[in-house]
Amino acid sequence: MALLVLSWEVVVALGAEKDIKIGCLFPTTGRAGRYGLDAMEAAKMAAEEINNKGGVLGKKIELLFTDEKPDPTFCVRVAKRYILEDKVNFLMGVVSSAVGLAVTEVSKEHKVIFVGTSHATTKTSVENWHPYYFRIGANTITGMRSGALFAEKKPWKKYYYIGPDYEYGQVQWTDFWPFLKKLRPDVEGVGESWPKLYEPDYTPYITAIMRGNPDVLVSGLWGGDTVAFIKQAEPYGLFNKMDYFHPDVGGNYEVFEALGEKMPKGLIMGTHHHLNWPDTDLNKEYVKKFRDKVGHYPITIGANSYVGVYFITKAIEEAGSVDNVEALVKAMEGIKIRTPLDPPGYTSWMRPLTHDIMQWRAIGVTEPNDKYPPAKYMLGKWIVFPPEKIIPSDKEVMELRTKRK
Amino acid sequence: MDFSFIIVQVLSGLTMATVLFLVASGLTLIFGVVGLFNFAHGSFYMLGAYFAYQFISLMDINFWFGVCLAIVGTGVCGWVMEYFFLKRIYGRQEEGPYQILLTYSFILILDDLVKIIWGTDYKSISRPDIFMGTIPIGDWAIPSYYLFIIFLGMFIAGGIWFLLQRSNFGRIVRAISSDRTMVNALGINVNLFLTIVFAFATALGGLSGALAAPLRTVTPGAGIEIIIDSLIVVVIGGLGNFWGAWIAALIIGQVTAFGILLFPRWSILFIYIVMAGVLIIRPEGLLGEANKKG
Repeated sequence: MALLVLSWEVVVALGAEKDIKIGCLFPTTGRAGRYGLDAMEAAKMAAEEINNKGGVLGKKIELLFTDEKPDPTFCVRVAKRYILEDKVNFLMGVVSSAVGLAVTEVSKEHKVIFVGTSHATTKTSVENWHPYYFRIGANTITGMRSGALFAEKKPWKKYYYIGPDYEYGQVQWTDFWPFLKKLRPDVEGVGESWPKLYEPDYTPYITAIMRGNPDVLVSGLWGGDTVAFIKQAEPYGLFNKMDYFHPDVGGNYEVFEALGEKMPKGLIMGTHHHLNWPDTDLNKEYVKKFRDKVGHYPITIGANSYVGVYFITKAIEEAGSVDNVEALVKAMEGIKIRTPLDPPGYTSWMRPLTHDIMQWRAIGVTEPNDKYPPAKYMLGKWIVFPPEKIIPSDKEVMELRTKRK
Repeated sequence: MDFSFIIVQVLSGLTMATVLFLVASGLTLIFGVVGLFNFAHGSFYMLGAYFAYQFISLMDINFWFGVCLAIVGTGVCGWVMEYFFLKRIYGRQEEGPYQILLTYSFILILDDLVKIIWGTDYKSISRPDIFMGTIPIGDWAIPSYYLFIIFLGMFIAGGIWFLLQRSNFGRIVRAISSDRTMVNALGINVNLFLTIVFAFATALGGLSGALAAPLRTVTPGAGIEIIIDSLIVVVIGGLGNFWGAWIAALIIGQVTAFGILLFPRWSILFIYIVMAGVLIIRPEGLLGEANKKG
């Protein structure tokens, strides 16, 4: 018994000196490797900045990283190991929606806060929501609703959709089409294409789309798939025959980087974080710091993990504690934080109902711009959408939650 | 459906089939002659694409010369893999599990190697200048580079056939494929031939990667993505059967091209349905020999 008391005291004493541990999961191998590596670098950058200023509550931030793969079963094991063996205070990251849905259950079970930074599925913050989950990043609803609001003002009548045949590709279309139909009952869907994720050859899809002769092609591809599609569609002249509209993640920097001069002009694209929007010091500083540190420009999800670390720090400061989870949740629910994604005069805030961070979306058009090499094109001519116009209403959220029960 | 569009769609399917065939032919050749299922074969396709990127985009070498260098580079990597690693497991008891372990580990090694050398961002290279244009077909325009790939694929298929069926080299290779011990007993250096066939087959993978690089995304992990489709082609055609791979690739290309048109919601299912159908009716594959002893 004496021994037990002694060891308890040792733990408490050590606890005062202990770092704040954040257990991160990002994909670092395979096709999504660039996503994970940029997210890692951005998180490290934020932690270094905070630690150089003396940390938070006198403690340093320590980040732990594991490859997400992406494999839900594996990541559940890692998340449990983080919690039980590494004694992390927070979980952070996850790019794949399937992994996000699995890890959020671990967070719920162990009451350890999970700051999701990059998975897009709306379910984690609506249907499968629980108090210990927070999202610093966008979900498909905001991306696709900003797209629908953009499309409402366009003369487009005939729509064609192409998206990868899995959760993310399907959810984009169901978030977009019924919402647009309400705004514009006159629009008409003339076809859909559902290639597999990572399809290397889109040629037969491209000719099928051109035969459908739509006014606009809505795309839900991402990353390398966007690159392959644009490369293969360009020689067929697809972009001269119809508008190309890719609201959720078409405007990811890695696409501009890979295509260089081969990026067609006039494609309409959006993404969550843009290197050149908003034109604020905070955004310019973030982009420049990342570029100086890592050697290339950050892709869109880097900003999420950068903000994620600052978000956690701010919550600890406001709660005055690392260990009181309920106080942390309460602090997080009320947080207002200036981020590189905020236009002048706006401050991001956490929506208590869904634990989604409230941020703007911007949609632009590709135009020549060599300020961010090796890209030769970037987006411009912005149309921007404030969060209150593109989030699901309280009523919609409650309906979705009851439907699940 | 107007006629010119049907031709366009057939050509789309043919382009897809050609790249698939070039990868699958190497895979099936290695299986037929060396008796090894090379899971890492797709990684040589990826290497070919990265070599092409290195030579053509970074070092600014002429496209055609760059492709040749990519073929040689991939072949050398294949030679190294066979000579220093695979040779050690031939003829061992339970060679099968060793093959899977070793070739699979090469997927991971090559993926990481590519990431260390070239980074994780997506790469791309331009089509060669003479194939920048398009060729009109009715109201449609087909990129000439696609037609070039189709013709080159046919030429290579013919070339390999000639090599295997009509040359002395081919005679020995075919003999090794049916009875390795006997050929060895006749005083032929079988080990050398196995290495050559393996290097040649991986070079074919490199060629397909280099040719596809101007059209596709060059990224780590590309090898795993193509190996599944190639595996389907090889299984449908009959393991180790060269012409089987060609026919299977053509079928897969056309089924995909027209499946997309007729049942867009189920387009990715068709090739699996074809595979399941073939396996039920002819488990040994279209041109495979039943109960062949390797």
